Amino acid sequence: MVWKRVHMKVRQSAIRTFSSVCCYTSFTTVETVSYCEGEGRLVVRFPVSGQTSGAEPARCVRMANEHYLELKENPVQFEHASSVNNVFFDEANKQVFAVRSGGATGVVVKGPDDKSSVAFRMDDKGEVKCIKFSIGNKILAVQRTSKSVDFINFIPDYPHMEFTQECKVRQPLGQTSPFPPVPSVTLCVALQTKNANVLGFCWTSWNEIVFITDQGVEFYQVDRWRARRFCRVKLLFRCGAAGNVLKCGFQVFPDKRSLKLQKSQNINVNWYQYCPETAVLLLSTTVQGNVLQPLAFRNGTISKMSKFEIELPVIPKPAKLSLSERDVAIATIYGQLYVMYLKHHSRTPNSPGAEVVLYHLPREGPCKKSHVLKLNTTGKFALNIVDNLVVVHHQSSQTSLIFDIKLKEPDCAVNTHQPVLPARSIHPYRVSLSGPVVVPSQPPVPCQLYSSSWSVFQPDIIISASEGYLWYLQVKLAPMVHLLEDKGKLMDFLLRRRDCKLVILSVCSQILGGHEEAGLPVVATVFDKLNQVYKDYLEADQSYTAAMESGPSRGSTAQKRPVRTQAVIDQSDMYTHVLSAFTERRDVSHKFIIAVLMEYIRSLNQNQITVQHYLYELVIKTLVQHNLFYMLHQFLQYHVLSDSKPLACLLLSLESTYPPAHQLSLDMLKRLSTANDEIVEVLLSKQQVLGALRFIRSVGGHDNVSARKFLDAARQTGDQMLFYTVFRSFQQRNQRLRGNPAFNPGEHWGRPVGEGLAEVLS
Amino acid sequence: MLMISPKMASGVQEKQYTPCLLSFFIYNPTFGPREGEEEKKILFYHPSAVEKNEKIRNVGLCEAIVQFTRTFCPTKPAKSLHTQKNRQFFFEPEENFWMVMVVRNPMIEKPNKDGKPPTIEYQEEEILDTVYGAVVRQCYCMYKLFNSTFGRAMEAGGVELLIQKLEKFFYRYLQTLHLQSCDLLDVFGGISFFPLDKMTYLKIQSFVNQVEERLSLIKYTAFLYNDQLIWSGLEQDDMRILYKYLTTSLFPRHSEPELAGRDSPLRPEVAGNLLHYGRFLTGPTNLKDPEAKFRFPKIFISAVDGYEELHLIVYKAMSAAACFMISASVELTRQFCEQLDSLVGPQLTLLASDICEQFTINRRISGPEKEPQFKFIYFNHMNLAEKSTIHMRKTASVCLTSVHPDLMKILGDINCDFARVDEDEEIIVKAMTDYWVVGKKSDQRELYVILNQKNANLIEVNEEVKRLCATQFNNIFFLD
Amino acid sequence: MDGETATGTESWEDCMLAPVDRLRLERADSPTPGLVEGTEPGAGQRSAMFVQAQSFEDLTSEAEEEAQRSAAEENPEGPDEGEYKVQNHDFSSDSRTKEEDVSSEAWRSHKKHVFVLSEAGKPIYTRYGTEEALSSTMGVMMALVSFVEAEKNIIRSIHADGCKVVFLTKSPLVLVGVSRTSQSDKELLRELQYIYYQIVSLLTLTQLNHIFQNKQNYDLRRLLAGSEYLTDNLLHRLERDPGLLLSAVTCLPLASCSRDAVSSSLQAAKAKNLVFSILLAGDRLVTLIRKKDQFLHHIDLHLVLNLVGSSSSFREGEGWTPICLPKFNTSGFFHAHISYLEPASELCLILVSTDREDFFNMSDCKQRFLERLSKRCAYQSLKEALKCPTYPVSQVGIPDLRHFLYKSKSSGLYTSPEFPDVYRSGQEQERLMGLYQDLHSCLHHPTRPLRSFYRCGETENLLAWVTSGFELYLCFSPLASKASAVAAVNKLLKWIRKEEDRLFILSPLTY
Repeated sequence: MVWKRVHMKVRQSAIRTFSSVCCYTSFTTVETVSYCEGEGRLVVRFPVSGQTSGAEPARCVRMANEHYLELKENPVQFEHASSVNNVFFDEANKQVFAVRSGGATGVVVKGPDDKSSVAFRMDDKGEVKCIKFSIGNKILAVQRTSKSVDFINFIPDYPHMEFTQECKVRQPLGQTSPFPPVPSVTLCVALQTKNANVLGFCWTSWNEIVFITDQGVEFYQVDRWRARRFCRVKLLFRCGAAGNVLKCGFQVFPDKRSLKLQKSQNINVNWYQYCPETAVLLLSTTVQGNVLQPLAFRNGTISKMSKFEIELPVIPKPAKLSLSERDVAIATIYGQLYVMYLKHHSRTPNSPGAEVVLYHLPREGPCKKSHVLKLNTTGKFALNIVDNLVVVHHQSSQTSLIFDIKLKEPDCAVNTHQPVLPARSIHPYRVSLSGPVVVPSQPPVPCQLYSSSWSVFQPDIIISASEGYLWYLQVKLAPMVHLLEDKGKLMDFLLRRRDCKLVILSVCSQILGGHEEAGLPVVATVFDKLNQVYKDYLEADQSYTAAMESGPSRGSTAQKRPVRTQAVIDQSDMYTHVLSAFTERRDVSHKFIIAVLMEYIRSLNQNQITVQHYLYELVIKTLVQHNLFYMLHQFLQYHVLSDSKPLACLLLSLESTYPPAHQLSLDMLKRLSTANDEIVEVLLSKQQVLGALRFIRSVGGHDNVSARKFLDAARQTGDQMLFYTVFRSFQQRNQRLRGNPAFNPGEHWGRPVGEGLAEVLS
Repeated sequence: MLMISPKMASGVQEKQYTPCLLSFFIYNPTFGPREGEEEKKILFYHPSAVEKNEKIRNVGLCEAIVQFTRTFCPTKPAKSLHTQKNRQFFFEPEENFWMVMVVRNPMIEKPNKDGKPPTIEYQEEEILDTVYGAVVRQCYCMYKLFNSTFGRAMEAGGVELLIQKLEKFFYRYLQTLHLQSCDLLDVFGGISFFPLDKMTYLKIQSFVNQVEERLSLIKYTAFLYNDQLIWSGLEQDDMRILYKYLTTSLFPRHSEPELAGRDSPLRPEVAGNLLHYGRFLTGPTNLKDPEAKFRFPKIFISAVDGYEELHLIVYKAMSAAACFMISASVELTRQFCEQLDSLVGPQLTLLASDICEQFTINRRISGPEKEPQFKFIYFNHMNLAEKSTIHMRKTASVCLTSVHPDLMKILGDINCDFARVDEDEEIIVKAMTDYWVVGKKSDQRELYVILNQKNANLIEVNEEVKRLCATQFNNIFFLD
Repeated sequence: MDGETATGTESWEDCMLAPVDRLRLERADSPTPGLVEGTEPGAGQRSAMFVQAQSFEDLTSEAEEEAQRSAAEENPEGPDEGEYKVQNHDFSSDSRTKEEDVSSEAWRSHKKHVFVLSEAGKPIYTRYGTEEALSSTMGVMMALVSFVEAEKNIIRSIHADGCKVVFLTKSPLVLVGVSRTSQSDKELLRELQYIYYQIVSLLTLTQLNHIFQNKQNYDLRRLLAGSEYLTDNLLHRLERDPGLLLSAVTCLPLASCSRDAVSSSLQAAKAKNLVFSILLAGDRLVTLIRKKDQFLHHIDLHLVLNLVGSSSSFREGEGWTPICLPKFNTSGFFHAHISYLEPASELCLILVSTDREDFFNMSDCKQRFLERLSKRCAYQSLKEALKCPTYPVSQVGIPDLRHFLYKSKSSGLYTSPEFPDVYRSGQEQERLMGLYQDLHSCLHHPTRPLRSFYRCGETENLLAWVTSGFELYLCFSPLASKASAVAAVNKLLKWIRKEEDRLFILSPLTY
């Protein structure tokens, strides 16, 4: 909050965001990166000096260990944008294109991982406006004019590939001479209405492409033409009033179906946003541009989703385009598609500051305004989605906020959220000056964060074209632990994160007598939250295996094995990482230790999770350590420690220190009802030979027990009367079974019968 | 206690007298060793009205008996003396301190014709040593619970203090003895545990733990429901006597509202308190009362270094009662009591209804209670667990049994039989009334069953008992 | 339950009742609880030889004593002590280890002490140690007794863990038993009772009273000197002989025809003052003839058995000794002619006469009896029978059954097999007897008697069953099931019924 007030002093300038763009050129110094029409190019202006020195060093120090956001290691490096080198970014393939002098001196494509980088050369036919590979680098589409897009049929195994690889290692990509020439297929788009411009295009699959013109969208399928490696196709658009009829003739290439129109939509478009994961295209329509039309592309079809209107803070008079592309982003959060609108604060005095409004975009049904994220400040913002968190970067304060839309139980149609944590800046990052080229001599220097030259892409990408870096943003959970007071809330939060396991476990250790020891109620709630998730997983898994056993015939649809996320903290995790160490602690009262263990067992039971034996062992061990046998007795009495042979044996071992344990373990064995042999052994070990025999008889096993075992036991007691009794009873058994009292050889206790008797009668 | 027996002898009514307390005294032979100082030996004598010399004489007899017995077994002191008219029970709880209880045998007064004085017939075989021996031991334990040992009183304030403490305690306690209704249960001195499912039990566990954490003053906690124990933080033997006190003295005294059909009134919402039924059974009756005193009974329990003195706070909501024990060294304040009240009251009320719910559910599962062919008493020496379908709910005044006293005595006889050897044993007898009585002893457990199946034979009876064990005790190991 | 278990209320008169009128001619095949005396296996057919005896009837109330004293006028003269001196007690002298340190642990740990003292507190008898050494202890005993008496009360017993002291005051004597056994007070009292009668049988009660009236602190040992071994022996029997427990005697197994022959021979040898003629084979009864409506109480018979069994002197010829049969008459002496048919033989004939001058008549009776016996060649078969005076339990053919006692109430006779191998040792026998005693005292509890008692224990399973007709005690293997026990009872009763004319005296005779 302190931070917030501090920040409100910062000038109330018109809100600008780092806009999310699809391609971008840049000079070394920029003020903002603002979108300019169509091809998605960046116009660059000089910065207002001192604006970026928002973060006072003091705070930086204090928060040193509190940066909960950071740029991932080994970013994608590329030749930074310059007058001769244009840089483009394709969200669909997450590829950065460095196009030197229109491609004539080479195009270097860097994907998320090194292997996927490609380099080639193409004739310079004018400035490239946009360049994108189809999914899987099959076909390259290049837009140079607002009227035409060139296609290059790309052969992965073409020799230049190997070459690029080598080139990467050997020499700077600047040198282009050895690049292979790539003849291109030019696609000339002739439009009826002259002023229809292609705003851009997106590959929706390896061979499907959608063009967005200011008058509509056109959805094509491109076939790889096999006949020749390269060929020239001429395409003619004719836009008729009733849907576009495609007329295209292939002059060279026989196959007419190499580029065919699947579908098209007539609609006036101001700008568009495309979400590759979901293949959803968002079109801004109407004059204000605040009516958004989502289109979904799936295997060759366009499905029109219900359009919706974004409430503008102020309705401009006269109407003009007032919803800018940079204020809108589209992304999936928790598997749901959302349109995020960065809403400027209205210029009214008691303005609460800007907010991000989330519109839920379901596959079916109308789109609804569902969440409002309070930023409590103004300035320039940019949005990322990391690990299902909405990250809002605030440039002037050089800090970021995170929101978790699930953190708050939905109470009404539109839920308002406050930041999960106080704003913190991204963890400081160092780069080597020379950009992509690794020069060992130069030490890395701190890279300017929140720089105006940053452009931010969904979900979690930050690009600094001026420095030639592509970073992935990620959250660091550890620092959050101390920032979030409410442990219950913290758990809810952590449980929804990707790499949460270790952090959660460490939190558990902390609340159990760590420096921030929490009370039992807190411990209880934390355990309950953990086990809720644990249980849900177990249930899902069970129903899955059940379905599998019942045969794939039934329930085969949609039955896929539930993934075990890190949030599933099972008993062994708790045992190994938290509890076993915890019970060893000398500085914690054993009262508390036991209470905690019981809480955990309680929580497990509450979720109908069968408790593992080693937990019981832990309880017993602790109780025994402190001679709390009566407590143990009561627990067993109420079957809190549920029955099992191992537990029974453990109890037996306690008998010497606590005699009643013997009875307890016998009871347990009896309840197990599968442990008759064990019971006999226990009784015999107690020299209760008669007891053993009576028991065996009561469970009807008398006829097939080994006489030897019992006779030996009887003899060891040295009680002749007893031996006599047992001996006679077995003789009678033999009589009954075989009509003869004699023992089978080996069956009886190894000495002649007569001798045995003699011994008795002596 | 006089009761008129139904049977009429020759038209004239016989009077039948149940056993009653003749006298109860405590002495220490070392206190008046010299001739003429005998009176000094006597620390307590009931009835106090008795003339001095008689007191001395009776004490003398006891000394003589004890001495005489030593000539035959120096290690094992005399425990009881049988005479035609009465029985005397000796108990030496602490060295040289002897407690003696004299009980008159039950007797029948047969009026004689032509004005002769009525002939009195003493029934010498009616009283069971084990039962009344246990009663004496109980007397001591109860004294010890509230006063600690004799020895401590001596240290603290010499004989005077001891005498004074004894007077104070036994004067009231002896009135609560109901000798005519003592039986096997007194021998066991067991604890009746409340049957409960695991989950609810765990809830109670965490309730107890959380309260003890919040109010760190609390050293021990015990939790009861329906006068049956669910959780004890005290050690077994201390709990045993505390339980005895709670169930036979404290609870009955406060049970009137419940018995009167409705529970203690729902407490009005006060200053943020949730509504709840909680109330103190010991200490202040009404927290709001500005005059309210915050004094609680003190109890003594065994500890590593001798004994430990504690405040006993008993707090009840509906049928759930929680005992909180706090070191006597701390002063208990109004503020603490209010804190406890506001913390425990609501939770305990909640728990109580939970338990009640769970209980009725289990009840429904186990099926409706129909009067079975048998009645039984169960006791486990290991955990003192006790269960009786023979006894109606024990109240302060009397514990009513649902079977003929003679049958109860037969149980007592069998129990003595079992006590002789510690081996497993089973005894099945048929009384002259054709009732069958079965006693089973298996590894520290004792089960007594009374079957009302007049013309059953041994085998059928055995089957019946097996059935009983299968239903009532299927989860424990009973040697057949 | 028709008075079977009534406590000591039966008076002397009842005892004289002949059970004839209670006899039923139809004999049930195997007894049922509803069965009437005289029809259970082993029941006498014409009449019984014995007084109907219940163990607790023996604890005679003072009233009874009175009855006896009044009935005891016609025998004024006291005993002449000389008679006892005649008897030499080789049997006893070695068995009696008097010299013992009465403060030693060894002395204390004896299983059962018995003390007899006078109301003046003078020692009369102690089982272990010497009276002298114990005079102070006995003084205390007497003090306790009289202290309690002063309160118009009677001391019964003192109980400590594993040890009890029982007091029996039989003016002018006081008997004290100290026992470490598990026996009930009543059992111990019954034993003290026996000791009391033993002493009375030597002196008569009249004489006892007479002595102490004259001299309060008379040292009775002067009179009893040399007879202690009888008491010692009786105590020994009490621990071993089921007869004293069951208040019954057992018979020598003998074919009924031979027995009848013997009986009729004995019957024929009658004399004017001859009241009872008893033929024994060791401790077993062969036959007993009595004067019409004169009944011999089993206690009296046991005293006779004890007398005969305790002394070997009778082997050396015909013994003639006065004996008081206290249950018959506490005030006067009978005179018993005791002799073995042959020096080596077990067969001992006892002829009880009322006349102290009758020795030669009795001797003559014996001769006549012997003649008839040999004439009717029953003697041979009798000798044969002597060879196997007992039978093994296996004869019954019940595998789990180890031992049993069966008593026919109406005839006062019991039968029991020899002890099986596992119970051969004396200590095992006493243990088993102890178990029987427990059963017995449970079943005959003064206020809470039982119909049947089953105990399943570590060393054996026991079953006891009392009906109006008989008492049955069975000892099974501890692994025997209840079902097999129940089955065994019926099988056993059938067997006894089958064997009864061999095992019992079905047709006792009178002169």
